[in-house]
Amino acid sequence: MPNPWNLIIQDPIINGLIAISSILPKEIEFGLAIIILTIIVRLILTPVTLRQLKSTKAMQDMQPKIQELQKKYGKNKQKLQQEMMKLYKEAGVNPLGCMWPMLIQFPVWIGLYQSIMKALATTPENLLDLSKHLYSGQIISRALPLNSHFLWLDLSKPDTTLILAILVGGSMWVQQKMTTAPAADSSQQSTNTMMQVMMPFMFGIICIMMPSGLPLFWLASTLIGIATQYFVTGGWGYLKKPSSSTQLESRGKGKRIRYR
Amino acid sequence: MKARIFISFGILFLFVLTSGGCIGGQQKPQGFSGVTAYEGDLYLGSMDGRVIAVDPSTRSEVWSLTFTMPSKGMSCGSSSTSAYIYSTPLVINGMVCVGIYNGKVLMINPSARSQNLDFPQARSGEWIFPRTDDVIGPVVGSQVEVNNTIFVCSSDGRVYALDITYGDEKWKSEHLGSKLWITPVVKEETIYVSTFEGYIYTLSAENGSLLPWEFKSEEGFVSSPALYEDIIFVGSFDRNLYAVKIGDDEPLWTVSGGDWFWSTPVVKDGVVYAGCLDGKLYAIDSKTGNSLWEFNTRDFIEYDRIVSSPIFVGDLLVVACESGEMYVLSSTDGVLMDAISIGHPVSGSLCTMDGIIYVRAQDNSLYAVDVEKGKISWELALTVE
Repeated sequence: MPNPWNLIIQDPIINGLIAISSILPKEIEFGLAIIILTIIVRLILTPVTLRQLKSTKAMQDMQPKIQELQKKYGKNKQKLQQEMMKLYKEAGVNPLGCMWPMLIQFPVWIGLYQSIMKALATTPENLLDLSKHLYSGQIISRALPLNSHFLWLDLSKPDTTLILAILVGGSMWVQQKMTTAPAADSSQQSTNTMMQVMMPFMFGIICIMMPSGLPLFWLASTLIGIATQYFVTGGWGYLKKPSSSTQLESRGKGKRIRYR
Repeated sequence: MKARIFISFGILFLFVLTSGGCIGGQQKPQGFSGVTAYEGDLYLGSMDGRVIAVDPSTRSEVWSLTFTMPSKGMSCGSSSTSAYIYSTPLVINGMVCVGIYNGKVLMINPSARSQNLDFPQARSGEWIFPRTDDVIGPVVGSQVEVNNTIFVCSSDGRVYALDITYGDEKWKSEHLGSKLWITPVVKEETIYVSTFEGYIYTLSAENGSLLPWEFKSEEGFVSSPALYEDIIFVGSFDRNLYAVKIGDDEPLWTVSGGDWFWSTPVVKDGVVYAGCLDGKLYAIDSKTGNSLWEFNTRDFIEYDRIVSSPIFVGDLLVVACESGEMYVLSSTDGVLMDAISIGHPVSGSLCTMDGIIYVRAQDNSLYAVDVEKGKISWELALTVE
């Protein structure tokens, strides 16, 4: 009985990767195939991504109103919650609207990641396992085994130069910075700041340990995400805008001066 | 915001899990060393990184030697892990030679191991190649010995010739391919090597230089080559078994299978016996490529695959499968004589001694199978408690 996960997601992706590799120059075949397939998958997922971005944008646009509510009902959490729900309802925004598309995309990313690792077949067991996933045909058989070298990288081994880790971490920071709305209260803002730094940092650390095929996929995916975000939401988002904590701090300083 | 943090870290956590081989992604390497019999003892590699000698009369380990290798990535284990052993030990004059996936080739003296002395005991003829911390790339295929020289292929794409006494490098070939996971064939001062890139190269056993004749196929070769008379038999990624006459530019014949011919074909009395990942064992006339008979293991077990080479026990042909089923066939017509269930996948090569077949299954146990009685005589768990 074929495994439905393999049948619907993993096998088409593996064979797609290998088929794309077969038409590319041998020296860069697999690295470029990863990038091309990442683009294709992101194109297929465009409707879902757009929905997610629109939800995010709507949430961003509501931030001033949310901040006002937070200031007004900061101490009364229950009231704040009620008012915020009312605001979301009036604006026709689902606060979890940007989460569901992300969850829908998640199996595809896992499948893509697993396919990259399987197609590389770094050990005899993996090569043996790969044969279970392959379609018959010259396009597939002629591409095997795949050349794991791409630019300075051996995609089956971690990148010891740290370049990829820095690129992945940096691009993820940019993407997070673009989307994360500034918070009114300082504790939430510090959580935001921690997230903006910790997540890219952790991904950077993982990149140092992972076969570089995976960080390459992350990098390609993040860069496409940044580009999509830029064109859909119309600019660099919160990357260019000053954070609200800075605004609040400067306002606070002004007040202090007045009192003196 | 909390949901966002939760989901982000959840994604990260799942990526870490999957990337480490814990829940998919890549299949965890285990090694599938075969068994060698020599003067009443058995030698094999275990799944916990040990080269082991077993006395079948007492059904116990005589000695073992453990090897480790650095672990990779965010796996679930520590920074050092048991070395994987894929190659089948080679016994030469009582000395045991084995290649390890950590990029080392070893010569082991059973006498020194029985005394539990430090490894290597140079005075006892033991050596490790390379001697320094260097490695030659993971060794997957088995070693071959001819005229006091050990020939071994490495994942660095080269063939190495090592002095049998001291383990000194006599020569190493030029880079022949991305990785050589095969056992080379050596005959009359010529080494035959098949590559993932679709070449069959011939090298001088004397100095490793490339000889004029080579064969190129559009698709890569997945199995080790087998040589019979002047024909090389080798499985390809295009799901064909190739017969290539030495000196020719075109294959003598090709036979199509439903999947890769992963295991090294066995040739006897002009008949090629080739196991395929499509679950079939093919008997083919070595000269013409005509099919003599086929035995389909999938008539008995769905999606079964033949990973290890078949073996002869007298006139009977025995083939073990990934499902753990072992089939005893008449070699003349492929008629099923008996089936014995080991119950665990078999990937490594089998060996036979005194009518008993010895096989290491992927549950890290050694099984002694009595072909005549059609049952497992005994089994020995190789895992260290």
